[in-house]
Amino acid sequence: MKELTHFIAGKPVKGASGRYGDIFNPATGEVQARVPLAAKGEMRQAVEAALKVFPEWSSVNPQRRARVMFNFKALVENNMDELARMLSSEHGKVLADSRGDVQRGLEVIEFACGIPHLMKGEYTEGAGPGIDIYSMRQPLGVVAGITPFNFPAMIPMWMFGVAIACGNCFINKPSEKDPSVPLRLAELMMEAGAPAGVLQVVNGDKEAVDAILDDPDIQAVSFVGSSAIAHYVYSRGTANNKRVQAMGGAKNHAIIMPDADLDQVTNELIGAGYGSAGERCMAISVAVPIG
Amino acid sequence: MTKEHRQKVLNYIEMGVKEGAELVVDGRGFKMQGYDNGFYLGGSLFDRVTPEMTTYKDEIFGPVLQIARAKDYDEAVALPSTHQYGNGVAIFTRDGDAARDFAAKVQVGMVGINIPIPVPLAYHTFGGWKRSAFGDINQHGPEGVRFYTRIKTVTQRWPKGGVREKASFVIPTMK
Repeated sequence: MKELTHFIAGKPVKGASGRYGDIFNPATGEVQARVPLAAKGEMRQAVEAALKVFPEWSSVNPQRRARVMFNFKALVENNMDELARMLSSEHGKVLADSRGDVQRGLEVIEFACGIPHLMKGEYTEGAGPGIDIYSMRQPLGVVAGITPFNFPAMIPMWMFGVAIACGNCFINKPSEKDPSVPLRLAELMMEAGAPAGVLQVVNGDKEAVDAILDDPDIQAVSFVGSSAIAHYVYSRGTANNKRVQAMGGAKNHAIIMPDADLDQVTNELIGAGYGSAGERCMAISVAVPIG
Repeated sequence: MTKEHRQKVLNYIEMGVKEGAELVVDGRGFKMQGYDNGFYLGGSLFDRVTPEMTTYKDEIFGPVLQIARAKDYDEAVALPSTHQYGNGVAIFTRDGDAARDFAAKVQVGMVGINIPIPVPLAYHTFGGWKRSAFGDINQHGPEGVRFYTRIKTVTQRWPKGGVREKASFVIPTMK
């Protein structure tokens, strides 16, 4: 049975907790691999590796950090076929949809390439006699992203693209149902020039999530998933003095006015309602025709 | 995605029928030839769905589309605005004034006008309202930079040397 690993301090690391989750092939219903579910101590190893490299990474000048992002973009594009295949084999979405998943994530990497301008602060000269005031934006330190099963390429890239470009060190706890793409992206980020410990992956379930929410050295947590868990993550994370953004569920409506082009709208509703088996937080689930 | 989730969607379809919605297309019998144990499910379509139904309030997260008829525009704006979630919404129309009014009034974070899935591009920001998001800062784009950094403000002066002022015990104000 294929056994996945964590990716800590730049290396694949076998799980040590003794607990594993099953990874299915959605097309056949069979178990195709198992993934280690991290214990609190394993999450702490990743935090310590991130803390160690943060002074070095955050003092790389922003243009050089942007160049790592440019390199990462090229590597992901060159490995698109492999990534799409890997994604479809664990998630079940069609290959074209997997390519789209990677592509929309890459677009945030492209945005992050502009970090030298985006991180600029402000300056007032002569606010008083010989007195200037300036403000600057500094990275937070070690940050974490807890990402869902439905977009295993796009959503991690949304988060770590900007976080790492800003000089932070990022730990991804991806869905334990389809973690292979996040693991591969962490390898590619190192090939792109990021030092070991800048992007890490710790696999797991509630124990790993709680370890993130309770670790005093993790400054910010980004989450996407169900509203129930989003609320839990937000409450526990902020109670532990972290900055948290937690995105939850949806019930998106499509209002159809009497003057709408019904043939076109029907096609759009079918795509938006059934695409990716409806497993998108931006899927249309309710059509509201008027009159 | 998993056997458990597929069963959860099946349960919602069963619930929808029990709640009195009309199951116009039933995707539950779908079989993928040669992949009988795969987590496949055909698309389903419900009509006459109403806001009191649990299947209307909850997110099903599966290939199920529901039709909830509105008698007029005001009711159509109210449905997504009063729903517990507020992630995305779309309006299909040729009437620019109606679309503009809708975008201004609807209580949802991401609005599509003749666009079914209005996911903002990378250099804008992603975020819903109400129970679709907890926290204050959207994802990626300029909000991403805001989320992953913090501001330090420095007030500086480079004195020429020697004592120029006596000690001051009140809040500094501009001279």
